[in-house]
Amino acid sequence: MTNRERTYNILHFKAADRMPAVHFGYWPELLAEWAEQGYISGTILDGYCDGGPKDNELDRIIGWDYNWQHVFCGNNGLYPPFERKVIKEFPDGSRAVQNGNGIIEKIHPGVISIPSEYDYLMKDREAFETLFKPKMALNIEKRVDFDFFRRFNSDIYEKTDVPLGIHLGSVMGSIRDMTSVMGMSYLMYDDDEELFGDVVDAYADMQYEVAKAVLETGAKFDYAHFWEDICFNGGPLLSPKLFEGLCAKHYKRRTELCHRHGIDIISLDCDGVVEKLLPVWVENGVNVMFPIEVGTWGDQFEKARKRFGNAVLGVGGMDKTVLRRDRKAVDGELERMKRLAALGGFIPCPDHRLMPGTKFELVVYYCEEIKKIGL
Amino acid sequence: MGYCEDIAERVIGGRAKEVVALVEQALSEGEKPEDLLTKGLMAGMNVIGEKFKLNEVFVPEVLVAARAMNRGMQVLKPALAKAGAEPLGKAVICTVKGDMHDIGKNLVKMMIEGRGIECIDLGTDVDAEAVVDAVKESGAQIVCLSALLTTTMNAQKDVIDALIAAGIRDKVRVMVGGAPVTQEFANEIGADYYTLDAASAAEVAEKALKEMNGK
Repeated sequence: MTNRERTYNILHFKAADRMPAVHFGYWPELLAEWAEQGYISGTILDGYCDGGPKDNELDRIIGWDYNWQHVFCGNNGLYPPFERKVIKEFPDGSRAVQNGNGIIEKIHPGVISIPSEYDYLMKDREAFETLFKPKMALNIEKRVDFDFFRRFNSDIYEKTDVPLGIHLGSVMGSIRDMTSVMGMSYLMYDDDEELFGDVVDAYADMQYEVAKAVLETGAKFDYAHFWEDICFNGGPLLSPKLFEGLCAKHYKRRTELCHRHGIDIISLDCDGVVEKLLPVWVENGVNVMFPIEVGTWGDQFEKARKRFGNAVLGVGGMDKTVLRRDRKAVDGELERMKRLAALGGFIPCPDHRLMPGTKFELVVYYCEEIKKIGL
Repeated sequence: MGYCEDIAERVIGGRAKEVVALVEQALSEGEKPEDLLTKGLMAGMNVIGEKFKLNEVFVPEVLVAARAMNRGMQVLKPALAKAGAEPLGKAVICTVKGDMHDIGKNLVKMMIEGRGIECIDLGTDVDAEAVVDAVKESGAQIVCLSALLTTTMNAQKDVIDALIAAGIRDKVRVMVGGAPVTQEFANEIGADYYTLDAASAAEVAEKALKEMNGK
């Protein structure tokens, strides 16, 4: 069986010859560590991206079958993005930098962490209408490389055996990326009550049209993929009711588009405790939870399966932290993965990017062992 | 409905402009600033804290309520100073070295301020020595340390070690929190408290200050 076939079968509750070894990439600091330890060549670090040639090369070295995030899409972000520029320099060497989404981030020299959000441009309707809305315009010829997607099947799809996805964008996560959590909250409760909904709708409409244009080229995809990251360890970053009111229609519209093009595996990447938002996703066509952050937030997949039955599939749920420990810890996690795999419709995958301190030899061992799970 | 109840209700609803207008009006009509603070602004914020703990409201509602409370506080501050009102105590708060995440830290800060505790916010990516200096300068009795990453949570221990080295560990209570932090980890590094959410952190800080000051 090819990886594409076994993945399709597992996620459709059909027989497969074995479990694929699936991952979700690495923090760059880990690749630097592995290069320093002599496990990989330093050249893999340059230009590494999910599903790219360097990622595929690393898969072969380690023993992974593929990275779940092997996705393609048109440009469904702000176009053109805001100019990246330094707004302010601080005495301690840190800088306030405007990013492509209109967020001012505070970057500290030498700190490898997500930058803190210092300020944001989308403060009111005027900012939305004048600065952001023009960047959400469809402008389809600039957003979609039609030649690439017309040749996609022969040039890419038929030359690989791994599942390939179309990236559907994000309904709420990208808005948060343009406003910061604080700005998103203030806009939601702005005196202009329609404002936040207008922002969500304008962006979502553009993303729908981009996905539609890509699919209409005839390019084949095995699954579709959303990114959200709209939850934290306490649950969702906004009320589930508000989320449903703002987002449900947009998920439905995009998942129905996929169904019309024969794609019935629709995954959504959301970190944090997602439980309260699951109904909105499941009822509107999303069926694969990813990456199911068990290591940090607790075990959620079994609970979701009990609640929604086979309408919920999973890719993820493997506690990546065991890969920093020892073989015994990995064996324990493999046993848990066997139990989850037996539920059907579930493919184990580290529950986020592998982090610094992950032991190369344990990852190789995990890849060997996970493939032994019979189905 | 009196001014205090009215203000509390507007804080809960996140109506900053209305809170400011009500506080101004109440002061002009001779209402006691302490009452407007404790029974109005803080009472409203405490309701939001409880609701947040019970998952009845979410981060945006907390943020807009905190903004409303802070705007009201700005109006109230000169009157409180004139009346000689003192905060319940002081807390130094930060996200530890190597970590830039500040949403959790900001939520805790807002909730703590809602309990009448003055917060000295050192920001993110803060050195252990900077925390020690801030405690010495301010006389704060509470230290709140946030970390979101498994790679940075150990820096919470560095702060505790620095407080010990500076000879002031017994003068402060150390609270730790953040996504990867657990009670077990808090015990391991010698923190005094671990709390799961921002509202609980504020409750614990208030209780600790009252204990420490015999109130």
